[in-house]
Amino acid sequence: MNKSPSNSTAEITPGYDTKREYPHGDLAVWAFIYAELLVFSVFFVSFAFARMLNPEVFVSGQLTLNPWLGMTNTILLLTSGWLAAAAVLANASGKQSSALKNLWVAILFGVGFLFVKGYEIGHHFAAGYDLDTDSFHFLYLFMGSFHFLHVVLGVGVLVILAVKVKRGDYGPDESQGLESGAAYWHMVDIVWMILFPLVYLMR
Amino acid sequence: MNEVFTKSMARNIYFGGSLFFVLIFLALTFHTIKTIPELDNRAALTEQVKHGKEVWENNNCIGCHTLLGEGAYFAPELGNVYQRYGESREAIKAFIQFRPAEGIPGRRSMPQFNLTDEELDAVVEFLVYSSQINTQNWPPNIQG
Amino acid sequence: MKYESQAVAKLYFLAALGLFLGQIIFGLIMGLQYVWGDFLFPLIPFNTARMVHTNLLIVWLLFGFMGSAYYLIPEESQRELYSVKLAKLLFWVFLVAGALTIVGYLLMPYARLAEVTGNAYFPTMGREFLEMPTITKVGIVIVALGFIFNVGMTVLMGRKTVVSVILLTGLVGLALLFLFSFYNPSNLVLDKYFWWWVVHLWVEGVWELIMASLLAYVLIKTTGVDREVVDKWLYLIVAMALITGILGTGHHYFWIGTPNYWQWVGSVFSALEPIPFFLMTIFAFNMVNKRRRDHPNKAAVLWAMGTAVVAFLGAGVWGFLHTLAPINYYTHGTQITAAHGHLAFYGAYVMIVLTIISYAWPHLKGHGDANDERSQVMEMWSFWLMSVSMVFITLFLTGAGILQIWLQRIDGQTFMAVQEKLAVFYWMREAAGLVFVAGLILYLVAMFTAKKPALEEAS
Repeated sequence: MNKSPSNSTAEITPGYDTKREYPHGDLAVWAFIYAELLVFSVFFVSFAFARMLNPEVFVSGQLTLNPWLGMTNTILLLTSGWLAAAAVLANASGKQSSALKNLWVAILFGVGFLFVKGYEIGHHFAAGYDLDTDSFHFLYLFMGSFHFLHVVLGVGVLVILAVKVKRGDYGPDESQGLESGAAYWHMVDIVWMILFPLVYLMR
Repeated sequence: MNEVFTKSMARNIYFGGSLFFVLIFLALTFHTIKTIPELDNRAALTEQVKHGKEVWENNNCIGCHTLLGEGAYFAPELGNVYQRYGESREAIKAFIQFRPAEGIPGRRSMPQFNLTDEELDAVVEFLVYSSQINTQNWPPNIQG
Repeated sequence: MKYESQAVAKLYFLAALGLFLGQIIFGLIMGLQYVWGDFLFPLIPFNTARMVHTNLLIVWLLFGFMGSAYYLIPEESQRELYSVKLAKLLFWVFLVAGALTIVGYLLMPYARLAEVTGNAYFPTMGREFLEMPTITKVGIVIVALGFIFNVGMTVLMGRKTVVSVILLTGLVGLALLFLFSFYNPSNLVLDKYFWWWVVHLWVEGVWELIMASLLAYVLIKTTGVDREVVDKWLYLIVAMALITGILGTGHHYFWIGTPNYWQWVGSVFSALEPIPFFLMTIFAFNMVNKRRRDHPNKAAVLWAMGTAVVAFLGAGVWGFLHTLAPINYYTHGTQITAAHGHLAFYGAYVMIVLTIISYAWPHLKGHGDANDERSQVMEMWSFWLMSVSMVFITLFLTGAGILQIWLQRIDGQTFMAVQEKLAVFYWMREAAGLVFVAGLILYLVAMFTAKKPALEEAS
């Protein structure tokens, strides 16, 4: 087994595959992740551009949002992401039960995000705003819903991973699927980390 | 055994990704259908206008003209012909009615469709209805 | 040719090529009418020539897709076709129905055709590309159902490959989406909304599945690259096609009475629609680069690579140029649309059918893997003549479109006055069209005078 001194992960977790040149996880999933990031980036740039062209609409629109709900969701997703990463490392050291626990809590926090976000979007529609109200509300609702659906997909992926960990499908040498799923979940997290300050906070 | 790029992962992305976007498209379709009453001028969709659409289709006007920018590019856009003709129904009616059957030598020619008075009034009304659909400020000018 | 039933593809390919020639003749008529306005008027008015041109295109491409399926599915499924008789019956039904429809277009005023075919009972006529009488549309559905049953049973009872499954998915999608052509509401906005479920979700949706799987098949056969590698590429390509293309439908919902958020959704997702075509280009060149054999049918390999490149140019690049809403606001319904349409259709769908015919024809004629050298050279010349002339047609129409937008939509001159000023572009386009038809005739000569290669030629 290769042990490169500069790779601290390898030192902490014997068995973590340092021989691989490619990113860990299935390359198909990485291609998909990049495609997703591309789509979200285009929306983020469009948001910034539209905001530049129409500042009043965006300032007044932002006031209709609740940044505390957004903060709650940020904490939920970040924690969930950290737990998913911990699960991958646990699996790499052969600690399957630890990996499983981490995954279940990650799922719990993901579902928590869905409840908070679902409430927030439902409340927004109920307050009378819709996709065609103006460009701020469209972008907020569409990006928010689009991201929401990705969180749904991500939670589904985590559930599948948890079931497979329980079944013993993964181990230190068989971690491709686990790493791929976790990478997807991290992507969902990163998108939120840009979406939240861009839409909720920046003035 | 860890492989770089598995076929099953690519297949899952194909199935999952397609289903994902079909569902979003259906949701947006549902929302659009709910919203278009504010835009589609359906209050003006009388029996005469419906008949006018049938006349429009039965004579394949779209085969030379565009309507809201869609169709053939041989003859002018008709979605705003009502405005272009100074909001005169008679002017549009007369144009269709008096097309020479042999055409105009050397020029792009419109057939003489031999429409009845009733059909002419109906298709004109259809064009008036079309001109008042909210097309988000399209076309850019009166020429279509 | 490993299975006898593959021979039924020959009928379909012959019909496809014959109708292709008919399509181009009417294209040339239309091109002339653009500058000599009353050419053939009132015998064949422009709209009649146009519906013949576009309907022939769709029908010959369908013959081509079906022929391709009949050719490759027995080989992929490793069994004979479920029913050769059914395939032959459906061929004649489709050909006769199509011929009668075209004759109907030409022999009487359209309103009379509508009357004679009972359109009033269930009106579906009079919309672009869907001009055929309702009874013809019913005939198309019956032929499609029979065809899918036939190839579906073959695949189900045999080996299932990624190529055959994706091809079948595309064909089933094609048939199901065609059903929307029966939905013709009085509400013009709803009419247009669902019309695009046939047109967009065909050519920027399920037809891409058909194209990708046919391309993959030819690349597997001509390069000998491991099927596993090709399969992965194929999944990635069709995933990107549907992921971008489904919401990409929104780029037709900018100005037709639908809510304004489609300007956002349509622009963003359709801007990404070039991706699957870009992937197909890399895919084709990569597979040929990594080939394990030098296939004797050099023409087919040229067609395969050419298809990917021209499709990327026409569908991907030219499509991108006018897909963003702020730009489309000015280009909507102009010669820019015609420019894109021609290069996209030619690059993606005309060329993939010609690629398959190029690959399959030597086998169908009993010449082995490839035709004789002389035919291949002629065929490759036809590739260059048709492809380069189509690029020029596109360039001339793009020039016409830009000038049209400037004069009509910015300077405010009338449509007819502007069309007169574009005449130079239209004459050049017609000239390019003549080169195109020369290329097509050369292709037909190559195919019909092809011989078995001499012993020294066959590798």
